[in-house]
Amino acid sequence: QGRTISGTIIDAADNSGVPGVNILVKGTSTGTITDVNGKYTLQIPANSTTLVISSVGYLTQEVEINNRSTIDVAMESDIAQLSEVVVTGYTTEDRREVTGAVATVKSKELVAVPSGNVEQQLQGRVSGVTVITNGQPGTTSVVRLRGFGAFGGNEPLYVVDGVPVGSTNFLNPDDIETTTVLKDAPSASIYGARAANGVIVYTTKKGYDGKMRVTYDGVVGVTTPGKVDNILSPQEQADWIWQAKRNTARQLGYPVGSDKYNALFVSDQFGSDPAGPVLPDYLLVGDRTGVVGEIDLNAERAKYNNDPSRGSLYLVMPADKSGTNWWNALTRPAILNRHTLGFSGGSDRSKYYVSLSMQNQDGVLIYQNFQRYVLRLNTEQTLFKGVRFGQNLQGTYLSARGLVGSNGGRGAAGEENNYLDAFRMPSIIPVYDAFGGYAGTQAKGFNNPRNPVGIRDRNVANDRNFSFGAFGNFYAEADIFKGLKIRSSFGGGLSMNYFYDYNFPTYENSENLGTYTYGEGAGYNANWVFTNTASYERDFGAHSLNLLAGVESLNTGIGRNMNANGQEPFSRDPNYVSITTTGNNTAFSSYYRGVNFFSVFGQAKYTFNDKYILNGVLRRDGSSRFGAENRYGIFPAVSAAWRVSSEDFMAGVPFVTDLKLRGGYGLMGNSNNVDPNNQYSLFAATLNSSFYDITGGNAAPTEGFYRSRIGNPAAKWETSETSNIGIDGSFFGGKLDVVFDLWRKDTRDLLYSLRTPSVIGPAANDPAINIAKMRNQGLDIELTTRGNYSADFNYEVKLTGSFLHNEIIALAPGVEYFDAATLRNITPVRNQVGYSLSAFYGYQVLGLFQNQAEIDAAPVQDGVVRSQDATEENPAQGTGRFRYADINGDGKITVDDRTYLGSPVPKFNGGINLVLGYKDFELTAFLQTFLGVKIYNFSKWYNNFYPSFTGTAYSTAVKESFTFENGGNTVPIFEDVSNFSTNTQSNSFYIESGNYARLTNLQLAYKVPNSVVGRYGFDRARLYVQATNLFTITNYSGLDPGVAGAADTQLGIDVGNPPITRGYNIGLNLTF
Amino acid sequence: CKDEFLEVPVTGQISESQLTTPAGLEGLLIGVYAQLMGAPDNGGGSAGGEWNGGATNWVWGSIRGGDANKGSNAGDFNSITPIERFEVQVTNSEVQFKWEGSFEGVARANTLLKIMAKADEVSEAQKTRIAAEARFLRGHFYFELRKNFKMVPWVDETMTDEEAKKVPNNTDIWPKIEADFQFAVDNLPETHSQIGRANKWAAMSYLAKAYMYQRKFNEAKQLFDDIIANGTTTDGTPYGLHPDFGDLFSLGGENSAESVFAYQATGGASSTYNSLHEVAMHQPYSTAAGETAGSDCCGFFHPSFDLAASYRTQNGLPLLDGSYRTGTNELVTDQGKASDEAFTPDAGPLDPRLDHTVGRRGIPWLDWGNIHPGKAWIRDQNFAGPYTPKKYALDKTEYGTRDASGWTPGYQATNFMIIRFADVLLMAAEAEVEVGSLEKAREYVNLVRSRAANASAFVKNLEGTADAANYVISTYDLPWTDQTAARNAVRFERKLELALEGHRFYDLVRWGNAAEVLNAYLSYEASKLSNQFGGATFTAPADEYLPIPQTEIDLQGKDDSGGNVLTQNDGY
Repeated sequence: QGRTISGTIIDAADNSGVPGVNILVKGTSTGTITDVNGKYTLQIPANSTTLVISSVGYLTQEVEINNRSTIDVAMESDIAQLSEVVVTGYTTEDRREVTGAVATVKSKELVAVPSGNVEQQLQGRVSGVTVITNGQPGTTSVVRLRGFGAFGGNEPLYVVDGVPVGSTNFLNPDDIETTTVLKDAPSASIYGARAANGVIVYTTKKGYDGKMRVTYDGVVGVTTPGKVDNILSPQEQADWIWQAKRNTARQLGYPVGSDKYNALFVSDQFGSDPAGPVLPDYLLVGDRTGVVGEIDLNAERAKYNNDPSRGSLYLVMPADKSGTNWWNALTRPAILNRHTLGFSGGSDRSKYYVSLSMQNQDGVLIYQNFQRYVLRLNTEQTLFKGVRFGQNLQGTYLSARGLVGSNGGRGAAGEENNYLDAFRMPSIIPVYDAFGGYAGTQAKGFNNPRNPVGIRDRNVANDRNFSFGAFGNFYAEADIFKGLKIRSSFGGGLSMNYFYDYNFPTYENSENLGTYTYGEGAGYNANWVFTNTASYERDFGAHSLNLLAGVESLNTGIGRNMNANGQEPFSRDPNYVSITTTGNNTAFSSYYRGVNFFSVFGQAKYTFNDKYILNGVLRRDGSSRFGAENRYGIFPAVSAAWRVSSEDFMAGVPFVTDLKLRGGYGLMGNSNNVDPNNQYSLFAATLNSSFYDITGGNAAPTEGFYRSRIGNPAAKWETSETSNIGIDGSFFGGKLDVVFDLWRKDTRDLLYSLRTPSVIGPAANDPAINIAKMRNQGLDIELTTRGNYSADFNYEVKLTGSFLHNEIIALAPGVEYFDAATLRNITPVRNQVGYSLSAFYGYQVLGLFQNQAEIDAAPVQDGVVRSQDATEENPAQGTGRFRYADINGDGKITVDDRTYLGSPVPKFNGGINLVLGYKDFELTAFLQTFLGVKIYNFSKWYNNFYPSFTGTAYSTAVKESFTFENGGNTVPIFEDVSNFSTNTQSNSFYIESGNYARLTNLQLAYKVPNSVVGRYGFDRARLYVQATNLFTITNYSGLDPGVAGAADTQLGIDVGNPPITRGYNIGLNLTF
Repeated sequence: CKDEFLEVPVTGQISESQLTTPAGLEGLLIGVYAQLMGAPDNGGGSAGGEWNGGATNWVWGSIRGGDANKGSNAGDFNSITPIERFEVQVTNSEVQFKWEGSFEGVARANTLLKIMAKADEVSEAQKTRIAAEARFLRGHFYFELRKNFKMVPWVDETMTDEEAKKVPNNTDIWPKIEADFQFAVDNLPETHSQIGRANKWAAMSYLAKAYMYQRKFNEAKQLFDDIIANGTTTDGTPYGLHPDFGDLFSLGGENSAESVFAYQATGGASSTYNSLHEVAMHQPYSTAAGETAGSDCCGFFHPSFDLAASYRTQNGLPLLDGSYRTGTNELVTDQGKASDEAFTPDAGPLDPRLDHTVGRRGIPWLDWGNIHPGKAWIRDQNFAGPYTPKKYALDKTEYGTRDASGWTPGYQATNFMIIRFADVLLMAAEAEVEVGSLEKAREYVNLVRSRAANASAFVKNLEGTADAANYVISTYDLPWTDQTAARNAVRFERKLELALEGHRFYDLVRWGNAAEVLNAYLSYEASKLSNQFGGATFTAPADEYLPIPQTEIDLQGKDDSGGNVLTQNDGY
């Protein structure tokens, strides 16, 4: 005889009803699920004693029924993470049983800060993950899981609802239900050949059995550009230019007042009086520069012409004596909007989650904007008993405009860009000229920076690029018999993109673009994956067995791109311009077929008595990237865990709630860094490289061929061998959780495109060969402590930390290094055996030469002249210039004295998340940090040295430069000399510490009490105010210490890094 | 099915087997020609870069030879500064580009010859012609390497890639270069329907030039006699001097009777690499958007004080004793004067080629209808001096045919002459001085001077009513009887005639007087531009050649005995 019980399941934290909670009579299959208000009714068998109450994100509870007919339960929320469910893509595991190195991220953390790309939220929140990102909305980031295993292609594998994706910027963070990070071989090698860099698995939200619930999550805010004020004022600029001339004269031995001395004091803008510079009133009036005094503006207006097609230019540019702050001119407060409307619910046969979301986020750089509109539709239907069919689908519109930098924005730091322009424009130049045109370096004397406002106003303002995409998977699942489930999933993505961009000629700069060009293009990409798995789960008394077998085939993407460009349409009106209306138009297209993979895999897990767990994984992958002989790779892994806390002898140790030791070893593969054509020797016809005008005409060159690729059919998989020892512990009844992993990852057969000597043709792409070795090792720590001070006041502190050591063990035989990145003829990076990837390399600066005697006594060094070598034309000189270390002690400074100067690979990164709850208020703070990291601040090259670009903006750092009068030992003498001892070499002057800590999030939330929300028909209402990136603690002198890079072999070089700046948001979460 | 699934076809590129057809071989040959001006970074590696991997040798031949300085200002493109001061380091990026650009050409020729061996369906006659063009071009690329780097490894089509990497640079490659040119002489036709191709006479001229570099004057003279008497351009025009010396370096003078072998540039490709890109940054600095001088950038390659002064004449003849640098002989310059300060250009007698070669204040700028304003067109006069280069500078008439896809207008469609007939005549004159008749040498030199003396081609004032300066030039009318004097006259004529065309440094090295001439030059320039040249000295023999790029020594690694495959040149 059964009876009926009912009740309400509430969230212990906020007393709101929890929908979708599983309520099961222990030892039976009888159960139900709570409705949208957390209420349930259940018929229970007569001999029932206990209810098991569970829900994702909450602690599972067992409740004695005792004769009660109403059972209300308060669920402890997901703070005790060791009881979480871990979704690994092919399987779902209880956190208790995990034997590999796995981390999860709460969905709440992913939305804590509204970034454009969800990957940015992983920084500091998952141990073992390094995310280096910047402040552009929609930018990609350097995301590395447990270090850098290869010389490129180190991105982790992202899997969304079972479908591998290259980027996750299309995901709306509000749609994500679980995020799992698989770090070592035992957890990741189920993904085999693509798992060497770790796997990040996202699953999106599902519906549940119950009445429709509507959620609204919205945030609006503003990001401020911050204050940047490190450029000399107009007067300081002029004074320092004069100082440079005095310094130059002194170095060359020109007596003050001599003709040669006086001849140096000639300037296009600041007069020619050796006694001192004169600030002009006008920088340019027609062809006159440095005009002092008033001019007849009306007369000049008549002559004014800024259109070269109407005759010679005649520009009138006033001087901005108060000083233009170009950073302010180029930036703005940026508005952020993110809104998600979610609908979920269902019945026992049909469940759905539908959401509509939009994110529209401006960047602080003018015309920078990120937009994403998403419609998501996840449903699951039970067709008949034990057979389910479902799909997770989303349609996306995505647009990231005005991003700076290659590789989706993350290369910005290392490239000359509009951010750098803001620091190259002298402050005396106004943004606009006297009559509303642009001002700029057409006024001589300021070298060649370009007015970045003018460029962005004209070009970026009208440029667009966007894509439409469909993404998701369809699946069918069947329970064949008890414990055996088969599943088939077909998924993929299809996207179409379109772009057009305008390039206007300029007139205001010293180096103008003379031609108007217009380009537009489109492309599509389609990728798919077909996965079939069977899983079997069975308990035999104390023995428990989990088996999984699967077959998977996939294609990484097939697509075509087409683009065209043309020049000089009759009218530049954007309504007129198309490729057809331009001249000299040329079309280009490309076609690619992607890479095919075919894989079989299996996993077996055996658990004895909840104490001993043994797990084995095996995957065999074949890939079209490799030639027939080495096409397949096999990637096994084993792991084991021992639940110490379940042993009898631990019964006497009450503070140990749960303690598990884990160990694992295995292999993972990688082929990301290999071109799909690596096995082939190929020839290409490209306009730039191999066409030639053999007919002697001037219209169209003839097609020619050149060897474009040297093939290596013998290349095979890179293999990462990982070992991991870890502890999962929970103490004091869940008040303290500890996850600790000590790991090592050795990548061997590392595919490395050894640069071929030029004698066999430098233009051909060099084949990747399996030759190098890399080591990464580290320590991942997660500590969580939580508790209550009182019934009203609770707290949680989570510390995440990752220590990383990265080292190149070997390149090719006889090859000790390869250089990367050349900026202004300086090569700052050397990838060298025995050092980390992308290590900085150059001369060690011991200081500055303080006087001639030091030069005379120092090793012979180019760029300074010792007294004993001086001649009349070349007097002894060099005081105030760099003094390099004679590393090999041979008495002269040569290329052999270059040395290792530091590494941009962070030795430690981590975060602290603090949550304080008081009654209905919750304060959240998140601080992230990077330590043991160096940055190559190459922006100093531009504005610390007078001759790098003579006359451009100079940094206030030059005020600290060496002078004969005041000395100085940090910033070299400001003089008109460019040589080995000044600014032509890579040296340690540019190296700075990149250590920083940033308060990424500070949030105060208020949960409107149920009594209030209920009155308005809401189940839940939460309001918050938030400050993001409130402060950054760093000694770094550049824009932002989070310096990424376009490629793994050239990280941490800062030429103009888009800073992450402060933002203020308010948000609202509603459920009804 | 599974294995087929894992075979994904290559897209957008082709395999070797598709190139063993007549069209395939012809296409590969075009690819070899394309490398004459260097090529861009292709992702895998650079093929010479944009500025210094090709044939103009503006840095290697002209700047090092004293025709010009780097120009611009102290900081910009400062990897050239140590080169012009003869302080180059083994890691210098420009040196690397020259090596790469040349060896990419060699490699393309070798690849073509290798594939040709498998091209059974192609007729022997066609193969022979293609091979002859390819070997001519390979000869050119090795010539570039030999004259710049001296000891270079000889890699050819008989070697696999692996074997090629192991070839040491311990043998002088002149005999191999001669063999390539000889094969070309023996197998190239005299004419082609496509004017860009090398013909028999071009090959013979290059072979003779190779002899000159080895001081094999007898062999050279024999060839020169034949070339001067019978040589024709690829379209069958007998070799001759283009009557207008200014026009010679413009679009209108392309493929003239004087063009023995030229890089065929085009502006119509919407790809700057098909233009004369190596000189694109040589336009005057900072003038308004193409409307006054076809420029907005960058002011490199400024003719030296020494070069400009060399055009002083006395009784119509140059001052061979170097006295052009002293006293009233010295050319009046506007150095140190702002453009709005008064300045009167030099009124003394000058060789008219000065104003076709050197842009200077007060003289009309090409065909732009304006006067060179001096300092206003110079980026940093204190550093770079008062002159801008004029040969191959962008004419107004060339503005419309330039490659407009570039960021600066200097990407012109004008061909660059690698060998022109005046060069041939002056080499022939040298050979005559050494092993033949001094009078014959005088005759050749006078041919060159007579063309320069064509008054209708003198630079005129803006109105076109009078010469822009006081041009006085005459031929050598007294018989030459003294060999040394004749030698000096011929050599000086080369300087004047071929200035800024990338020859001077190599001429000085092969004459053996580089140290003497260049140290005098450096000291003269240092007195004008102490900032740029103070303390620079040339040391023979080390500075006569560039260092083997350190990167290449590293990449080619060790030989079986554990030593480096490539040996660094002495002095580095």
